[in-house]
Amino acid sequence: MAVIWCFSSVQLHAQQRTITGKVISENNEGLPGVTVLVKGTTNGTSTDPDGGFSLNVPDGSGALVVSFIGYVTQEVPINNRSSINISLAPDAKALEEVVVVGYGTQKRGTVTGAVSAIQGEELIRTPAPTTSGALVGKVPGVTTRQADSRPGGGANLQIRNMGDPLYVIDGIPSDASQFNNLGANDIENISVLKDASAAIYGLRAANGVVLVTTKKGKMGEKTSINLSGYYGMQNFTRFPQPANAYQYMRALAESDQNKGLPASLTPEILSKWQQGTEPGYRSTDYFDYIMRPNVPQYYLNANASGGSDKTNYFVSVNHLNQEALIKDYNFSRTNIQANLDAGIAKGLTVGTQISGRLEQRHQVGVPGVDDYPNVFLTVFSMWPTERPYANDNPAYVNQTHNVNVNPATYTEEITGWTDEWIRTFRGNFYAQYDLPFGLTAKGTYSYGFQNIAFENMEYTYKAYRYDQATDQYLTDPGWGNQNPWRRKSRRGIEDKFLQFQLNYDKQLGDHYVAAVAAFERQDNFNEFIQYNTFPTNNEIWLTRFVEQTNLVDQETQTARAGYISRINYNYKQKYLLELLGRYDGSYLYAPAKRWGFFPGVSVGWKILEEPFLKDRAGYLLNDLKLRASYGETGSEIGVNGLAPVAFGYYGGYDYAPTGLGASTVFNGALTTGLRPRGIPITNFSWVTNISSNVGLDLTMLDNKLTGSFDYFQRKRTGLPAPRYDVLLPSEVGTPLPNENLNSDANRGVEGALAYRSKAGNVSYSVGVNATVARIRLLEQYKPRFGNSWDEYRNGQLDRWSGVNNTNDPTNANLNSFGYQVVGQFQSQEEIDNYTIDNDGQGNRTQLPGDLIFKDVNGDKIINAMDERPINYALTANPYVSFGITTSASWKNFNLAIDFAGATMQSFQRAFELQIPFQNNGSSPAYMFENRWHHADPFNSDSPWIPGKYPAIRKDQSTHVNYRKSDFWVVNVSYIRMRNLELGYTIPQQILDRFGVSRLRVYANASNLFSIDNVKDLEIDPEISSSSGLVYPQQRLFNFGFNLSF
Amino acid sequence: MKSIYKYILVGVFASSFSGCKPDLEVEPNLILQGELVWNDPTLAIGVLANYYDRLPIHTQLTVDANATTGLLGWPGAARYDEAIWSGSSDNTRNNIISYPFTDWQLWDYTLIRDINLALEDLSKSTQLTAVQKAQYTAELRFIRAYVYFEHVKRMGGVPIITSTLQYDFSGDPSPLRRPRNKESEVYDFIGSEVDAIKNELGNTGSNTRANKYTALALKSRAMLYAGSIAKYNAPYIGTLSLPNGEVGIPAEMAQGYYQKSLEASKEIINSGVYSLYKANTGNLGENFFEALTIKANNPEVIWAQDYLQAKGRVHNFAYNNIARSIREDNLASSSLAPTLNLVEDFEYLNGTSGELKGVGTGSNTAVGQQNWIFYTNLQDIFANKDARLYGTIMYPGTSFKARPLNIQAGVYVWNATTNKYDRFEGDLNSVYTDGKMLTGGGGPQRSAIDVTNTGFYVKKYMDTKTNTSSRGLGTDMWWVRFRLGEIYLNASEAAFELGLQSEALMYVNMIRERAGFGPNSLTTLTLERLQNERRVEMAFEDHRLWDLKRWRIAHILWNGVTGSPDATMYALYPYRIVRPGHPDDGKYVFDKIVAPRFQSPRFFQLGNYYSAIDQSIINNNPLIVRNPLH
Repeated sequence: MAVIWCFSSVQLHAQQRTITGKVISENNEGLPGVTVLVKGTTNGTSTDPDGGFSLNVPDGSGALVVSFIGYVTQEVPINNRSSINISLAPDAKALEEVVVVGYGTQKRGTVTGAVSAIQGEELIRTPAPTTSGALVGKVPGVTTRQADSRPGGGANLQIRNMGDPLYVIDGIPSDASQFNNLGANDIENISVLKDASAAIYGLRAANGVVLVTTKKGKMGEKTSINLSGYYGMQNFTRFPQPANAYQYMRALAESDQNKGLPASLTPEILSKWQQGTEPGYRSTDYFDYIMRPNVPQYYLNANASGGSDKTNYFVSVNHLNQEALIKDYNFSRTNIQANLDAGIAKGLTVGTQISGRLEQRHQVGVPGVDDYPNVFLTVFSMWPTERPYANDNPAYVNQTHNVNVNPATYTEEITGWTDEWIRTFRGNFYAQYDLPFGLTAKGTYSYGFQNIAFENMEYTYKAYRYDQATDQYLTDPGWGNQNPWRRKSRRGIEDKFLQFQLNYDKQLGDHYVAAVAAFERQDNFNEFIQYNTFPTNNEIWLTRFVEQTNLVDQETQTARAGYISRINYNYKQKYLLELLGRYDGSYLYAPAKRWGFFPGVSVGWKILEEPFLKDRAGYLLNDLKLRASYGETGSEIGVNGLAPVAFGYYGGYDYAPTGLGASTVFNGALTTGLRPRGIPITNFSWVTNISSNVGLDLTMLDNKLTGSFDYFQRKRTGLPAPRYDVLLPSEVGTPLPNENLNSDANRGVEGALAYRSKAGNVSYSVGVNATVARIRLLEQYKPRFGNSWDEYRNGQLDRWSGVNNTNDPTNANLNSFGYQVVGQFQSQEEIDNYTIDNDGQGNRTQLPGDLIFKDVNGDKIINAMDERPINYALTANPYVSFGITTSASWKNFNLAIDFAGATMQSFQRAFELQIPFQNNGSSPAYMFENRWHHADPFNSDSPWIPGKYPAIRKDQSTHVNYRKSDFWVVNVSYIRMRNLELGYTIPQQILDRFGVSRLRVYANASNLFSIDNVKDLEIDPEISSSSGLVYPQQRLFNFGFNLSF
Repeated sequence: MKSIYKYILVGVFASSFSGCKPDLEVEPNLILQGELVWNDPTLAIGVLANYYDRLPIHTQLTVDANATTGLLGWPGAARYDEAIWSGSSDNTRNNIISYPFTDWQLWDYTLIRDINLALEDLSKSTQLTAVQKAQYTAELRFIRAYVYFEHVKRMGGVPIITSTLQYDFSGDPSPLRRPRNKESEVYDFIGSEVDAIKNELGNTGSNTRANKYTALALKSRAMLYAGSIAKYNAPYIGTLSLPNGEVGIPAEMAQGYYQKSLEASKEIINSGVYSLYKANTGNLGENFFEALTIKANNPEVIWAQDYLQAKGRVHNFAYNNIARSIREDNLASSSLAPTLNLVEDFEYLNGTSGELKGVGTGSNTAVGQQNWIFYTNLQDIFANKDARLYGTIMYPGTSFKARPLNIQAGVYVWNATTNKYDRFEGDLNSVYTDGKMLTGGGGPQRSAIDVTNTGFYVKKYMDTKTNTSSRGLGTDMWWVRFRLGEIYLNASEAAFELGLQSEALMYVNMIRERAGFGPNSLTTLTLERLQNERRVEMAFEDHRLWDLKRWRIAHILWNGVTGSPDATMYALYPYRIVRPGHPDDGKYVFDKIVAPRFQSPRFFQLGNYYSAIDQSIINNNPLIVRNPLH
């Protein structure tokens, strides 16, 4: 014994050593409070606030066990080291992760619905001005298309392509605009409810729900002050480049030649344009003229959070400023958010979330209420042969062939200004009482007010021509603009929301029960007033009655209420059950049809907890859960199948109806019209959505790989349709009222996989998610067709949406039919011998290079009977979307790269992207280059040179070449690098000297490249405007920081 | 303290969960119930106002917001032979391969139901006086007769429905099926309705609400149509007819209809209530322009659709059609470009054909230039023409709103080497190297938009007030539905068809006298003369298409043959001569060319005389028979 002791003592004496080290998180931050133990002993310590530790160990063998809540416990062999740094990986199992679901939170492990969640930190990784932009590609089941990316514009976001979702911010139903304009740093997390789990939100939740929770302080947490910001430079990803003057003039010459007209210019003049040096023969690039490169955007946020033992707070201010590529166009937004909770008595908490926002859009008052389209029109409407200023003298706007689009006028001094302010305020106030036996009662009242002010003034201005001979600038009363325009409008929106909620939560042995019961009511009041004046000068912007030319005065009101209940039960967290039901009422429907009951059920089975599986697969799998859900929701679809319109159940007369007959002049005096409203529709009620979902969640490979997969269907029953087996003669003069008759379904699959691991000093993660979702009409009330062609062409039953034009009554752009191009005429001889009437005019209008349409029905003439489905729904979100998110960190560096992509999305070319010289303007350069043409534009006997586009003929937009065909429709696929960020966290020891707890700097690039099939059209793959004249996405470079005290 | 909170909370919850369903009723703010409407004269007239405004027209001054093929608005005027399209790049109106059979179709039983509903509601009114009820009833019946006329002239016979058809939701709507009435029955219905109500209408002196003479004017026009269909469809019986008379009127009925038309016209003329507008005797062209555009105390206008700028009821006809060189807005202008065909149909005052003299072919060759007359002033080529040309069309060398139109296509420069003139054309407002105008601010230009393509602009219905051609203000020019000028021509035609030559001559000569032809300028009459008289007197007043249809000559004039002079639309391009030192220097020459934007000859087929009935209408009511050739 003594020997042993002695031996040990010697050992101790000889080997005892001190190990120092540091425990850091995956973000390279020191982790305080981590337990560090010598394996098999009680000898241990915990880390200091910086993650450092010092520990005496008996010798250099053995191992340290490092553990911390939320992180994977690690064993580190000592290996005779005296300094050991340990990096802890977060516990990817994350089964204890709390997910925000409707009316509460649930542990990730017990969720039975299809719910995806994303944390605020992941969102701000993409410095998008809008929340939807930041969400792109990061959440399975969420599809987006950003058709217009003007400053302040958001992406069109849908869940499983079901339509516009409901946004719920801190428990209060809101809208897309409020969601998009949240302060980026105020978001704690976002949950997306995709199946029956959304049904708890009933009203308007049929298309899924996006739940946003804003940040809160924590009780007892010390004050933390965070500053963050970025500064970036923006450029378009792509925009079609206009032809230069030589290309333009050559195309004109070719057009004359192709139309058999005498040449309107000479080879000498064309050659001068080609040289482009002589005064009067210089080319102007109007894209370069209008668009500035590297325009700035910046964002700043300051927030403070913390708490005492009874209170906590989070206050934040955000400011975003985004310049447009067009001078004098800009967007800015300031958000404030203050979230406070206070425990004022035992069990009783009161709290508030107060938010305010000011959005400002400033533009130049170019013609048109929307100031953007005209600017893009300019790029192609101006001739490259024209100069913006007469004699290039900036004091004189040139009277060009269409001065309306002369960009020299696009300054505030010349054409005026547009300002729009959106001011919003919302206050949520709640009181919550926690009873000791697991019951919580909560009452919430929310008041929101939004004021939208719009001011637009377009000036009159003069334009000039320069007369070389006399060196004078000529003008004329008909030149420039004599039509002044002043519009003023105000919209006030008031939202009131009231909710009472009871929550019960109890674990009784192996049985867990939770229940929610709630009542809520929502009222909205929206008033709008707008008028125009015809100002007599450009100086006075205040309006006067004598100048007024019209007045619009509108008021709309909505009222909705619902009773909500939900019961959750689980046994040993293995068998999970959720029952929910809502009883909803809406002002839209006649009193007798106003209320509807919508139940739902979902179940889960944590199959890995079963011994038969755990024994066999436990080494591979960490968790496996099967889920299934089935639920109904009511959807407020209007009687006409479109947006809800109130009062369908009212008869009587409309006073001053819109359209014809609003008023008539009788004997010199205006008489207001009244129009009969038609038969009241009293039997129409809710459209029922039946959402079914089966899903699988799994975790495997030592918690490194997590995944979830879902198959879903949303069936809608009760879609409006008339009972058309009853054929009411048209002479009755009123159609049969719509009833709840049709149904359709949106089906798809989605899945996400994430892998998180570490190699050497590098921790990394890769996540992939993808969604396929598409609507199919399942049941139709007794369809009738005149003949089989009618059925083929117009039938919708059992077909994918977008094949025929009325499949989805909310979208008029759903028509997939067009011609199929099988080739291009190679020679006049081929045209002469062609036996199919390709143009309906005996082919007399055809030239070599013209498109040859497929004669599908073989009747030797091309007409509408030869049209076939060639595209997916135009302007719709893609049917297939996917995203890839990756991140890696090494020491203090971290790198994140996100990709987003889509396919089964269609783009149709028209106008500027299709017709040469559209609207007597110019065209993209590639259309004037890559075209069929004679080798010599002045010699019609010269040989034809093939190209991609048909031979140029001006003013022939109705030529058969320009029919909708698969030559002009592109089924777009793309994958784009959405975001790349490289960050560096300044080492703690440096920061400590300055009292800073954290400082990270980063550089970030968005939309660096895209791999897609519309590169040759020079358009961004997400735009839907067929002319291409729209604000595309930006390629961004940002530099930013996060600083905490 | 704690218990207080508890009680408050419990109380609040109890009340929210136990209470009855919340009231979700939202008050409509623009709906009035029927009983209220039909017991208040102001509101009752409001219903009439709605119906007057919804009356179908074809090429009126507004564009129907719910434009269907049948109701186009003024852009439709560019689809026939009065004008071509010179506006936006949409060139479809200049490239109509053939008129679709669906053109002009109309089946507006919604409006007919609304009228019948109003008649029924009105009869239940307790607060209106008997006089008010009688007048409103007559007015509603007049409106209904007018709507049936608009149907029958497009579709042939349609079912005459005079009360609302009520479906009982039994699942069997077949008792509501009504077959088409005969074409003649619809015309007879119009005639008898007018006779029944004309003395009840009141509204004496009004030219915006219907009075006795408005009703008679409808009868004058409708009966003339019926008569000419009976007469001129005769050769096409078997082709353009249906066995039960839904289409086609027996030839023997022609005389009766002409007689009724003539009687109605004479009742208006002889009443002395209306007279031809002759306020501006010093300038007959200006006088004719004023006859349609002067609203105050206009003695000629019987019925118009009026507008009122002071109350914001305006339209954009002037904005869309003002001459390019004098527009007051920087976007649109010049959409309708009158054709040279129409210009040449205005005769010379000596009674000779209106064909312009000394025009070139535009071929840019010596041969193409050999017929040129060198005019000193641009407007000289139009000298001594029917004064109505000046009142209808803006042509080269004239002004509007005291601003010159500057219509000049380019210059012809003498080339001594080739012994011919070389043509040069430039951009709008361009200056030739001699420092003088190359191409005027008013065009014409061959392929530009919003500038005339033919060399002419529309003057009829153009507003002379400042800024009325801007979007900001708009114009309140009225649309004349009936005027005495038409009634004279209706009377003349009916008399001619009845063999009353001298009476026919009297009426047409009164119209021609106002145009500057002097008294009794015609001594013999043919139908062709009357046809041309209607063309020039009532150009752009929505008569041309319907007239050609009822005379059954539309398919002859608009035969779809390339180069056919009536189916092809022509332009007149004026040029300044540049030949320094020569007597012709600075003079003007004109080329007649096919309008450059015009692409396909007009092609009207026999099947176009009656518009196709939509398949859904036939599906809904199998008793409806299809029109011939469809």
